[in-house]
Amino acid sequence: MTHSHRPTSPALQIYRPQLTSVLSITHRLTGVALSVGSLMIVAWLVAGAIGPSAYDGVLVFVRSWFGLVLLAGWTFAIFFHLCNGIRHLFWDTGRGFALRTIYASGWAVVAVSTALTIGCWAAAIFLAWGVE
Amino acid sequence: MRCYQIQIPLARARGLGSARSGASQWWAQRVTAIALVPLTIWFVVSIVPLMAAGHQAFLDWRGSRINVVLLTLFVPMLFYHMALGLQVIAEDYLRRESTKITAKISIQLACLTLTIASIVAILR
Amino acid sequence: MLIRSSDQNPRYTLLKRFPVPRNFKTDRSSRITRGKLWPAPSRAAKIKRLEVYRYDPDKSANPRLDTYEVDIEDCGPMVLDALIKIKNEIDPTLTFRRSCREGICGSCAMNIDGTNWLACTRFLSETANPAAIYPLNHLPIIKDLVPDLTHLYAQYESIEPWLQSATAAPDRERRQSPEDRHRLDGYYECILCFCCTAGCPSHWWNGDRFLGPAALLQAWRWLADSRDEATGKRLDELEDPFRLYRCHTILNCTRTCPKGLNPGRAIAEIKKMIIQRSS
Repeated sequence: MTHSHRPTSPALQIYRPQLTSVLSITHRLTGVALSVGSLMIVAWLVAGAIGPSAYDGVLVFVRSWFGLVLLAGWTFAIFFHLCNGIRHLFWDTGRGFALRTIYASGWAVVAVSTALTIGCWAAAIFLAWGVE
Repeated sequence: MRCYQIQIPLARARGLGSARSGASQWWAQRVTAIALVPLTIWFVVSIVPLMAAGHQAFLDWRGSRINVVLLTLFVPMLFYHMALGLQVIAEDYLRRESTKITAKISIQLACLTLTIASIVAILR
Repeated sequence: MLIRSSDQNPRYTLLKRFPVPRNFKTDRSSRITRGKLWPAPSRAAKIKRLEVYRYDPDKSANPRLDTYEVDIEDCGPMVLDALIKIKNEIDPTLTFRRSCREGICGSCAMNIDGTNWLACTRFLSETANPAAIYPLNHLPIIKDLVPDLTHLYAQYESIEPWLQSATAAPDRERRQSPEDRHRLDGYYECILCFCCTAGCPSHWWNGDRFLGPAALLQAWRWLADSRDEATGKRLDELEDPFRLYRCHTILNCTRTCPKGLNPGRAIAEIKKMIIQRSS
């Protein structure tokens, strides 16, 4: 049986990053990022219920450079987690497991989530322009 | 975990035996995921114009009955999905049993609190 | 059928390894140090370098990375050929498992250039220079490239990989329709080399309880067998937050299988069957 003095062979330290593992850990990281982001949603809803001054406070934070950076990150996280989540749901039906399909759907997720992020920000900037 | 040297390998592999559960969490995660696909798209589409506007726009948006219904659907789904996902992460990476249990309890209570806070804020 | 590692998609990736220090989060006795260089003889025609993980249990030294220079003009085409040449001609202390040298015994599974493969079916020409050769990942090391697979075999044993039937044995063979037999295709071919299990991050972190892709693929092979009568019991034993549901569909298993099998799909089928049972 296992002797505790035996060294453990390297794993994460030497294993080649592949689309499979990279997208999986990204799915997890975006999930954690969105969990933090959900606090922002709650703060926004609560501030909206409290009144205009509290709500403006949230908006000032959101429109600061720090808020905008966070918002940009969360936008990508939402779209990535959404697209890759749909990919996971397909797998749960037992489909899409051929290695070529795994890679094709993986790259599709990267492309679509990037495009949606850019599109979302284009719309947001266009709308903000219209207000001012 | 250093005391298993004299344990028979099969005994170590069997451990405490099968929990005969886990399917329900896995299923709940898929169900909330399916619900969140349209709800998230709706939420993003709604929130983008609101970020460019002021408090009155928010009140108008929340004044619509359909938005209130969708929001009260979105929030519990979101936090249920989030609790399930964060619990899996805690189970994956936390080694000590006491830390793991504390983390899971905190996640569940935090998500419940956030759900209730949001729903109260929506319905106010 | 020989499956080349280059048949797998894609052949190259941007990064050779995750951007973490080489000894990231490793305990004191597992840290890898620089070993020595074994230069090729001066008459060598074409030199290929191999960086090989070495560990000698008889010395109280840490594992190290030795670099061997091999003359590949005078060597077989596979990584295993190079390893045998090193053992025969350069350093007889190099230790590794090998048997069939044709990809059916599963003995020479190891981590070559960052992914797990059989040394006997991996072309030297498809490796980097220097090629990085490590044992299967996150396992206790007995010596050099020989990991202790005891726990993985025990996990395999725990899924009871044999036909179970309450019906009295028939006079002749247990019959099975060709369609039912086809359900086992892609699963019965597993050679238990554990490339997939050793390449699964979930098994790295929770290998004591998570069964891992190899054992779960085997579990599905018996669930899918029309002659087996223990399906319900097998599902009971599998339905567990750790044994089965630690699989997060990372799919490193399907990516790395040197036999071209699909443990990821097998696990998805088990999850489906469990849902089917309760709905």
